[in-house]
Amino acid sequence: MNNNYENLINDVLKTGNGDYKEIRLEENKSSRITYSGKVRENISINSRLGGSVRAMANGGWGFSSFNDIYQAPQKMKETLTLAKYNSNELFEIEKNNPIRTKISPVLKKDPRKIKLSEKINILDHYKDLILSQEDIESCDIIYADTDRKVVFADSKGNNIEQNFIHVVLRIAAYSSDGNEMLQSGFSIGSLGDYGIIENLDSEILDCAKKAKDLIDAPKVEGKETTVVLDQILAGVFVHEAFGHLSEADNVYENERLKEILTLGKKFGNKDLNITDGAKIPNLRGSYEFDDEGTPATKTPLIREGILTGRLHSNETANKMSEEATGNARAISFAFPPIVRMSNTIIENGKDKKEDIIKDTKDGLYVKNWYGGMTEHEMFTFSSAETYRIENGEIKETLRPVKLSGNLFTTLKNINGIADDLLINQGGGCGKGGQMPLPVSNGSPHIRINKCLVSNG
Amino acid sequence: MDNIEKIEKYLVKNFDQHEIFEERSNQRSISFESNNLKEVSSNQSQGFAARAIKDNQITFSSSSNYDYENFISNFKELSNYPIPIDIRFPEQKDSKNTIIYDDEILSYKNEYLIETLKKNINKILLSFPNASCDAGFSLAESNSNLRNSSKLNINSQESFISFYISSQIINGNDMLNIYKYKNSVNAINEKDIDLMVSELCKELSIAQNIVDTPKKGCPVIFTPHGLYQTLLSPLLVSFSGTNLSKNLSSLCGKEGEKLFDEKIIISDDPHIDYSPASRNYDDEGVVTKKNILINKGIFDSGLYDLKTGSESSKKSTGSAGRSVHSNPSPTTSNIVMDEGQITINNIISDIDEGILVDHLLGAGQGNELSGNFSANISLGYKIEKGEIIGRVKNTMISGNAFDALRDIEEISLERDQVYGSMMLPYLHTKNVEISS
Repeated sequence: MNNNYENLINDVLKTGNGDYKEIRLEENKSSRITYSGKVRENISINSRLGGSVRAMANGGWGFSSFNDIYQAPQKMKETLTLAKYNSNELFEIEKNNPIRTKISPVLKKDPRKIKLSEKINILDHYKDLILSQEDIESCDIIYADTDRKVVFADSKGNNIEQNFIHVVLRIAAYSSDGNEMLQSGFSIGSLGDYGIIENLDSEILDCAKKAKDLIDAPKVEGKETTVVLDQILAGVFVHEAFGHLSEADNVYENERLKEILTLGKKFGNKDLNITDGAKIPNLRGSYEFDDEGTPATKTPLIREGILTGRLHSNETANKMSEEATGNARAISFAFPPIVRMSNTIIENGKDKKEDIIKDTKDGLYVKNWYGGMTEHEMFTFSSAETYRIENGEIKETLRPVKLSGNLFTTLKNINGIADDLLINQGGGCGKGGQMPLPVSNGSPHIRINKCLVSNG
Repeated sequence: MDNIEKIEKYLVKNFDQHEIFEERSNQRSISFESNNLKEVSSNQSQGFAARAIKDNQITFSSSSNYDYENFISNFKELSNYPIPIDIRFPEQKDSKNTIIYDDEILSYKNEYLIETLKKNINKILLSFPNASCDAGFSLAESNSNLRNSSKLNINSQESFISFYISSQIINGNDMLNIYKYKNSVNAINEKDIDLMVSELCKELSIAQNIVDTPKKGCPVIFTPHGLYQTLLSPLLVSFSGTNLSKNLSSLCGKEGEKLFDEKIIISDDPHIDYSPASRNYDDEGVVTKKNILINKGIFDSGLYDLKTGSESSKKSTGSAGRSVHSNPSPTTSNIVMDEGQITINNIISDIDEGILVDHLLGAGQGNELSGNFSANISLGYKIEKGEIIGRVKNTMISGNAFDALRDIEEISLERDQVYGSMMLPYLHTKNVEISS
């Protein structure tokens, strides 16, 4: 980033008193290409520059964000005034060894070096390929790449500059049964690798075929049933069903929730192991330092069915007397960091996918995703593909379903974890108005007994 | 010459038509979490976007850093890949004077806002000492300028205030959460807040009683909020010019057809004073008007901006909305559904066994174009012998918005604001499925 920022940062951190102060400055450039049906709908390049300052006083926060970064020292002054309205229990931001570092982006095939014309050519080709398939009426394609440079500095002497390059692609094919539009789609993403956009012809043909197969597919009646989830949907499941409640900002000031989510409590069966970690390298949720300058870690959340850890910011870790995990993240300079997941996975089990299916008398095989949501202990997530399982065999295609569950029962109802872990990087997570935050989710195939489903 | 003038000069020289949209806003927020003041914050933002047309092809780019060289270089690169379009940026016309700004919001002091939040949280804690409350205020003021090569030049000033309060009670493994909010252009007075808090307390006491879900096929009543989340949200997707112009909406070409129950009248009204969703001009500078979407069950019109209107051989309905960093697209202003003739109490008192659906989890995450919806009822009540007796749990609701609105039972006399941009009644229908 621009060297002039160094002086600006020093000025800001010297401004006023306060127990703890920090600043983030960000340069962001994103390219976006979208198609809807035959037409290229939008190509745009957006550049943003901005910053934010945060200060702690009287046990609470003041926060200001701005596009005009030269206002930063003035904003710090205001923020200190805002912070003084608080009157909470005091806490310490513990950072002992200040770090000064500049981290290069993870890069495999740099999307910034690919000409716009080349990106358009490949997307044009995918669009033509989808639309040339039988029974396909329309398609949506959304491509985006982002170059985000962030510098973080605080009054404890940390100064950390990081650079993230993200690439995402969502493709959906539409068919129609004469009454309803039906869609099949997939989402992929990477940290620093444009290569994932290339050579997708077979995935696209498969997607178009799935959209076509939906035309004659029957709807599912709402009921409780056994479901086998593929790796992608199981990844969404672990994010929604468990991930959000492991975020300590839900818990740290809520005495009842602290009791319910006491470490050491049983949440699943012996073969269930769940981990979150930005330290797992080269995924979309990977980073070296979070947005409070805390080094990333890898946190075991569930080991052999027992709750063993949770995700923290500096504040939640301090207030719960646990270790900070480096999970305080902000979607951009305009927002304060809050506790978020990074890369969340269900670890491999010992079962074979084939055996899990073979062993299922009556149920649904659900794959791929549209979305998912969590509200406290309840969650829902939706499949993009659904097949009937009958006497251990995968049968006909059904319309997509929505699945719903409850933290306290659904995790215990997992009774089959395969050994074929796969990580999906096509998703983004929303919380507190900050969306979509880059995350990845992964899991092997899993089976859940007694899951509530209805036609999606 | 400042940078934006240089950019304008470049656009004049190189394109047939151009448009510049600039926006600046200031916002401050106060939030309480778990009964305590958590954060006081402010946000300043600014940015601009340019659209330019040459030979019926359009280029768009946006920036928040006002770096002339960089912007022009992006714009030049993008203009090699323009998007076909057949529109003329509008000339300036006289608009209505709907009130969308009030400087009263600037007079609210942080001390007063903090005190108000504290007082109301304490009021809840008095009745429910084990509750954990979140609450907040957010106040914003924004100024925008839109100008184009047809000599249109519109300055617009808007204000916004929002209040929310939520309360969580945990009993065993049950986490109950009830949420109330209000949005306005000018003020949220203490009387409004008192009303919200007393409703919240009333609901908290009923909702702590968990009861069995009624049987399949029972009557379903949606609260105004539940009505939006289940039926209207997927329905409105089909009214958008974006989907109509591409033949993705099942309403395509069906103007004038009776597709819904004749009790249903829904319009999009941008001229409601003090509503945050109101607008005198849309974000392309077109003068806004009230658009009737459904008139006594008959599909009247969709909502279009310039581009989707031209692609559908229709005029813009004055519905363009945008943020600085996105292209304009058709958006709703205030969605208003006409009231019925029976009170909600009378609707409920006639029901032997049924369900009142208020909040949904996971609605809007399926294939909305089909009108299908499916969600977990995160807040819903069981009605038994004409009375609300308790809350249902682990229950899903699904159906199709078109089917559910084709034949409805009743619409209530009372209406309520939803998300500050809708005025909706309670609605009683049978054509939805409950499963648990």
